[in-house]
Amino acid sequence: MPYEALDFYDVDSLLTEEERMVRDMVRDFVDKEVIPKIEHACRDGVFPDEWRVALGEMMVLGAPLKGYGCPGLSYTAYGVICRELERGDSGLRSFASVQGSLAMYPIWDFGSEEQKEYYLPKMASGEWIGCFGLTEPDYGSNPGDMITKAEDMGDHYLLNGAKMWITNGTIAQVAIVWAKLDGVIRGFIVEKDDPGFSAPEMKGKHSLKASVTSELVFQDCKIPKNRILPGVKGLRGPFSCLNNARFGISWGAVGAAQACFDSSKNYALSRIQFTHPIASYQLVQNKLSWMLREITKAQLLAYHLGQKKDAGTWMPEHISLAKMNNVDIALEIARVARDIHGANGILDEYCIMRHMANLESVKTYEGTHDIHNLILGRHITGIQAFTRDL
Amino acid sequence: MNIAVLLKQVPDTTAKISVSGGRVDENSVSKWSMSPYDEYALEAALKLKEAGGGNVVAISAGPSRCEKLLRDAAAVGADDLVHIMNDDINNLDSTQLQKLLAAAISKSNSSIVLCGKQAADTNSGSTGPGVAEILGASCMTMVSEVTKDGEDYLATRPSSSGHEKVAVSAPCVFAFDKGVTEMRRPNVRGIMMAKKKEIEIWSAADLDVDLGNSNVTINSHSPPPEKPPGQKFEGADSVSTVVAKLRDEANVI
Repeated sequence: MPYEALDFYDVDSLLTEEERMVRDMVRDFVDKEVIPKIEHACRDGVFPDEWRVALGEMMVLGAPLKGYGCPGLSYTAYGVICRELERGDSGLRSFASVQGSLAMYPIWDFGSEEQKEYYLPKMASGEWIGCFGLTEPDYGSNPGDMITKAEDMGDHYLLNGAKMWITNGTIAQVAIVWAKLDGVIRGFIVEKDDPGFSAPEMKGKHSLKASVTSELVFQDCKIPKNRILPGVKGLRGPFSCLNNARFGISWGAVGAAQACFDSSKNYALSRIQFTHPIASYQLVQNKLSWMLREITKAQLLAYHLGQKKDAGTWMPEHISLAKMNNVDIALEIARVARDIHGANGILDEYCIMRHMANLESVKTYEGTHDIHNLILGRHITGIQAFTRDL
Repeated sequence: MNIAVLLKQVPDTTAKISVSGGRVDENSVSKWSMSPYDEYALEAALKLKEAGGGNVVAISAGPSRCEKLLRDAAAVGADDLVHIMNDDINNLDSTQLQKLLAAAISKSNSSIVLCGKQAADTNSGSTGPGVAEILGASCMTMVSEVTKDGEDYLATRPSSSGHEKVAVSAPCVFAFDKGVTEMRRPNVRGIMMAKKKEIEIWSAADLDVDLGNSNVTINSHSPPPEKPPGQKFEGADSVSTVVAKLRDEANVI
């Protein structure tokens, strides 16, 4: 049965014609090239390389950036791209988020002219894959206390430390690595073959199985002086990137939820128990209407946030609310969808369990659900509650 | 030398159709798409252009909703867009429509024309041959591929023993069956350029076409007859009956 995207309030009618054309392009790609392959990719634990090529050809990597081979679409269009990709799989959307928002964006915003001209066209076309090294084994929600450090050795920098939970790490040609130089967080561009750099893959995930997750290890890693990002110092650098990626996630989660709803509706209408389709029973209808209600609210949140992003009237707290809410409801919708699918819900014949397992990661990465609540709590009260002196 | 491709916007094959007043109710159509055989024609036109040059002129007749179809064609690479504006396209008969299309093809300086073998909604299959007749052009039907062969064109079409390749010179109309290549997917650059592309809007008067009176009247539309209810058999005793029915009535074993 062809996918029917739930859009109860016709929110997509608010998109521009161009944004709808981008939506249809990505939806077609997901229908024809992702859905037929995704379960195999998950079983094999690989990100199919042809998806990298196709994303580059469609020009959706770094889509909201302008110049240097990037098209300069609206952030709303970028959101739509994330939504459609994540309808396929969160791992696919993660690839695009990391490439565009976490690896290309910092070069585009904080890089030198030479860095932009050298890296961005190759990354926009998908020829080079990028990754983003901020999180460390002992510093997740608290990246400011990171221990990875850079030393100025006169004619080069020396990096030492380790990053963890790095999407695309092993398959990336270029890594944006955040490290402390004289106690101040700075961004560095590390290339795959730099001496002292390795990126072993982390195995054994039950979530985001079609996405590559890695460690980045720096042991006296020597990089040229022109690889520092000159335009930013401190946590503002990585947080600017995360704002854009989190924005994309708030849309992406809607796509995963829509996929779970679509499958649940079809299943409920065709599954007969006690001689009637289970869709005819009040308990199941209650679940479906709750899904519709939450997806509709999430769509409106994402759309309005997109408008604010494009108008430049957004605050990071706006993004926290949307990321936190939309992933939360998507995960809950996936769980209820599994319930509607009964035992069939655990099979990879249906997308449900895959989305559910994926969303467990999405709830935690890019600012955990709880940290986003604390960001909002600080906004409301003016009191930060991330830490205290003991 | 331009390459014209005729595109029709039809209800998407997944859209639900309802009939009201003996006509398909257009307002109830949730999604309009390019007719699938036209997609093959457009892809073949783009390939011809890539191999031998010339502009691809996308031509569509219909109400204002057809702008979307033309922009979609531009997004994958159509160079010029022609919209024959007609708000009541369903009240034109095939000959009247072919007059408009033929005039637009002439006006666009196209010497070869590609179209689908039939539209997904009406299935009449008359546009290609009809337009060729008016233009005094050759017509190749059921084409799956067209390549340039010097000054001529080489078209692949089914024959009684497989496939035949037929050489033909311009002017010629190629009516496409399922082609060898699916229509390409656009990319963001194509979509952004499509937005800016100008659409020529031509009326019957602009094309100097006198539509005259239609010789065709459609008396009624009716949905296909409902399938008779299925037969239900239960228990092992029914096996011989089922086998007999499958053999004698359904002819499947």
